[in-house]
Amino acid sequence: MHRERLENALFRAGYLAILTFMLLPLAVVVVTSFAESGNLAFPPEHYSLVHYRTFVEETHWLLAFDNSLLVGVGTTIIATTLGVTAAFGHEIDDGRAGQVLAPLVLIPLLIPPIILGISMRVYFVRAGIGASYPSIILAHTLWATPLVYFVMRSVFSRFDWQLLDAAKDLGAGPIRSFVYAVLPNVKHGIFVGALLAFIISLQEFVMALFLSSRSTETIPVVAWTQIRQSLDPMVSVVSTFLIIISLIAIVIATIATNLDWLSKQLS
Amino acid sequence: MSGTHSSSSLPAPIARLWESLRERSRSKRALLLMAPLLVFELLLFVAPFLILLRISLTNGSQDLRYAPGTWSLSGYSEVFSTDILLNAITYSIKLGLLATAITVVIATFYAYAIWRSEGLVKSALLFSVVLPLLTTLVIKTYAFMPLLSPNGTLNDVLLSLNLISEPIQFVPGTVGVVVGQVYIVLPYAVLAIYSVLATMDWGIVEAARDLGASRPRSVLEVVVPQAMPGIIVATVISFAWSVGAYAAPGLLGDGQNKARAFALVVEKRLLTLLQWEVATAYAVVMLLLMLVSIVLLTATLNYFGGEFEYA
Repeated sequence: MHRERLENALFRAGYLAILTFMLLPLAVVVVTSFAESGNLAFPPEHYSLVHYRTFVEETHWLLAFDNSLLVGVGTTIIATTLGVTAAFGHEIDDGRAGQVLAPLVLIPLLIPPIILGISMRVYFVRAGIGASYPSIILAHTLWATPLVYFVMRSVFSRFDWQLLDAAKDLGAGPIRSFVYAVLPNVKHGIFVGALLAFIISLQEFVMALFLSSRSTETIPVVAWTQIRQSLDPMVSVVSTFLIIISLIAIVIATIATNLDWLSKQLS
Repeated sequence: MSGTHSSSSLPAPIARLWESLRERSRSKRALLLMAPLLVFELLLFVAPFLILLRISLTNGSQDLRYAPGTWSLSGYSEVFSTDILLNAITYSIKLGLLATAITVVIATFYAYAIWRSEGLVKSALLFSVVLPLLTTLVIKTYAFMPLLSPNGTLNDVLLSLNLISEPIQFVPGTVGVVVGQVYIVLPYAVLAIYSVLATMDWGIVEAARDLGASRPRSVLEVVVPQAMPGIIVATVISFAWSVGAYAAPGLLGDGQNKARAFALVVEKRLLTLLQWEVATAYAVVMLLLMLVSIVLLTATLNYFGGEFEYA
């Protein structure tokens, strides 16, 4: 019995240590954004909102927010459309096309982003659209679509297909039967898929770095450049906003589905 | 109301024909729905790689990024004759193996803890994985600078506890790179293993314990082999991304790290020196090296996984 209690204590200490390791770095970023001084130290000596005030006044950060938003929305629209239609097609007929598609969309996720970034850069420069919004959006779509696709396959696999057949037997065309019989039952899934696509685009860094110019830089790219020049808590302010956006997304997705299901989709 | 389009009211042969037509149009419709994504993958993933491969086989050029239309192995000979390849193996592959080993051990333990916990604790543990997963790697690496630098938090704590007499330079340095890289890939590894564990029946572990296996032994001999598919996915992801690590060596590494890391070397050749044939050749060589390493790693894991199972 004594041994069991020791094992329990060690087990708990182990996972609490990892929990701390997972959350402490993000907490450090948030706390340092409230520092009063201009140098990065944790914990800060005095707290203030001075860096938030400067942040609002700096136009290049606001431009980066606009860029991120534009790229994120573009990625979300394309990735969700491609992912939902393909998953639907795969679900109604698991033919040879589906067997090619599933590994094909997965492989880009297993290749280091740096290599994808290089191949995209070379490709887009040759195509003449080098560093532009479309090139970043298309690169992010390559990264976000697999997630939407696998989320939707998991959602469709739980859908009762007799509903669709019933709608067809009642005379509805393919589009009407999708809108009235399928959509109401899978809209939560589509919403979560789209939300994840947006967050992935918002946070993606390496490909964006290789595909952006000064005027199209997204937030992570501007933050990266800033950190390389000088370390000041301004980056913490921007990071805090990004962390809060992800936090809100997780809360919304958890309400729409549940955290356990969401976690399994992300793997 | 006996709908004439319903197959049930038709004579058998016609009904069969109707069904097969319906099946065919069904698979055609499915193909039509999958076509956009297939075309997208071909244009945005397969085509760029073919062009990457083609450019790696061209000659260098003085005033262009490469000499279009030429055939040459000069890019590859540059990779093999200079210290590029040596650094790839002694630095990037080594970093990949080290980060992966640490990540997979921690991830297996944590995934097990999540699987065994319930209610609020389970939610908290899952949340601690999902939030960093959905945070940009710029923030994830940046966060370690105030923590691990010579005048950072960890050194302050160690100094005040009199455990060290002068600050240790974790950042910039290899320790910082490894810690940062583990932090970047850990969430993906945990979820890959957890999603496999979640399908497992706890009864098997209980049976092993009833038969007298100690707790650590039951985990090692029952849980680990069952979780092996997840562990393999976690290994592949951690390894591939750590070999190609860009942010961690770029921000947390010292000059040595920056001069040797694959991602930073290839970036310099591509963007600063404008030697596309060398950059693309290096990318191709690195992909092959990774592929070989991943095959070896997976085979090793499968071997040991089998070992545990029959022990």
